[in-house]
Amino acid sequence: MAKKEKLTEQKPAFAHQLNGQRNANRREKYLDELRDSLAARLRAGECAAAGEFVDMYHEQIYLFMRRLGHDRQISEDLTQESFLQAWQHIGQLRNGTALTGWLYRIATNVSKLYWRKHKDKETASIEGIGIDVQESNDIGYDIVEHHEQLGRLKNAVEQLPLKLKQVVVLHYLQHLTIAEAAEAAGIRQGTFKSRLNRALETLRKQFT
Amino acid sequence: MEEKQIKELLNELADVTAEPVRPGLGKEIKNRIPQKLSTHKSGTDTIHIVINLRISKLAAAAVIIITIILCAGLFGGRDWTSDRIVDGIRDSLAWLGAGRADILAVRSQYEDLARQGKNVVYYGDSIQPGDSRAVLMQLKLPDGRYRIVFADGSTAIVNTEKLAELLSRMLQGKTK
Repeated sequence: MAKKEKLTEQKPAFAHQLNGQRNANRREKYLDELRDSLAARLRAGECAAAGEFVDMYHEQIYLFMRRLGHDRQISEDLTQESFLQAWQHIGQLRNGTALTGWLYRIATNVSKLYWRKHKDKETASIEGIGIDVQESNDIGYDIVEHHEQLGRLKNAVEQLPLKLKQVVVLHYLQHLTIAEAAEAAGIRQGTFKSRLNRALETLRKQFT
Repeated sequence: MEEKQIKELLNELADVTAEPVRPGLGKEIKNRIPQKLSTHKSGTDTIHIVINLRISKLAAAAVIIITIILCAGLFGGRDWTSDRIVDGIRDSLAWLGAGRADILAVRSQYEDLARQGKNVVYYGDSIQPGDSRAVLMQLKLPDGRYRIVFADGSTAIVNTEKLAELLSRMLQGKTK
């Protein structure tokens, strides 16, 4: 009897997990289809598709620029430049699965070109991690410590060499898959993984 | 700190560093969408030829080197060995310097004839650059006479004695 009760308890949890997985798969499939159709329309030269493309990606690209160390104004300019470059190189777009990687690659090159032209310019730090001291008294020491850790990690990421910072930003902060991120960085997936490991190792050493 | 913990913190960092974007930015970008999105540029003075070959760098380097050798081989005749390439370059320099007839074409003709097993001799490698009456090539005809091609591109049919005279004159000019 007890065993039966236990099974009925487990069943909803398992079903919930399964549903979650199915929903995630469905969402992924839907996004793939959306990207495929968008890429096809862009290749056909449809201006409405270009508008949708901007809506879909401009925030991501702006944040990508910020996370690469550009200040707000420059990030906006470089985001615009990335899209301009995208319109000019629309013929190089292959299919929907490559859409994200393709745009990020353009953005990466735009950023790289900017740093090459402005070698002396210092990287700008992105704001966002801050905790009010008064508030911290209420929420406890653990949360303050956690925020401190996040702040230290943010600084450590910012201080990474550009190549290592790029892979961390692409994969962990922009949430690109390894394939997309490798395409964006213009390197093979194996090279990307090895750089990612090196970056994580550097970050780990800084924390210990 | 464990690597796993760093990964978790990095994922969290993505949310914390998600800065709001200025509302007008998307609109500004949209305003700069060209009237006509074209996959190929037209009416410009440059032509984009894009070949999207996904091959390794080593393979690409090999293809480039082979292409250079092939081009150099064609330039110097039809032989691909390095000596022939050097010969070809020397011939062409001599041709450019002296402003004479197409030595390269004669050489190519010589190689064709030699391949056919004809009794043919090529002097292009040893003639003086300024000597337009130097014998560039001789071909023995079935009647025992020789058809000769001079460096200025003119041809003549001569007997053995005349040929010997021309060659000795050429040799004397060289020793001077």
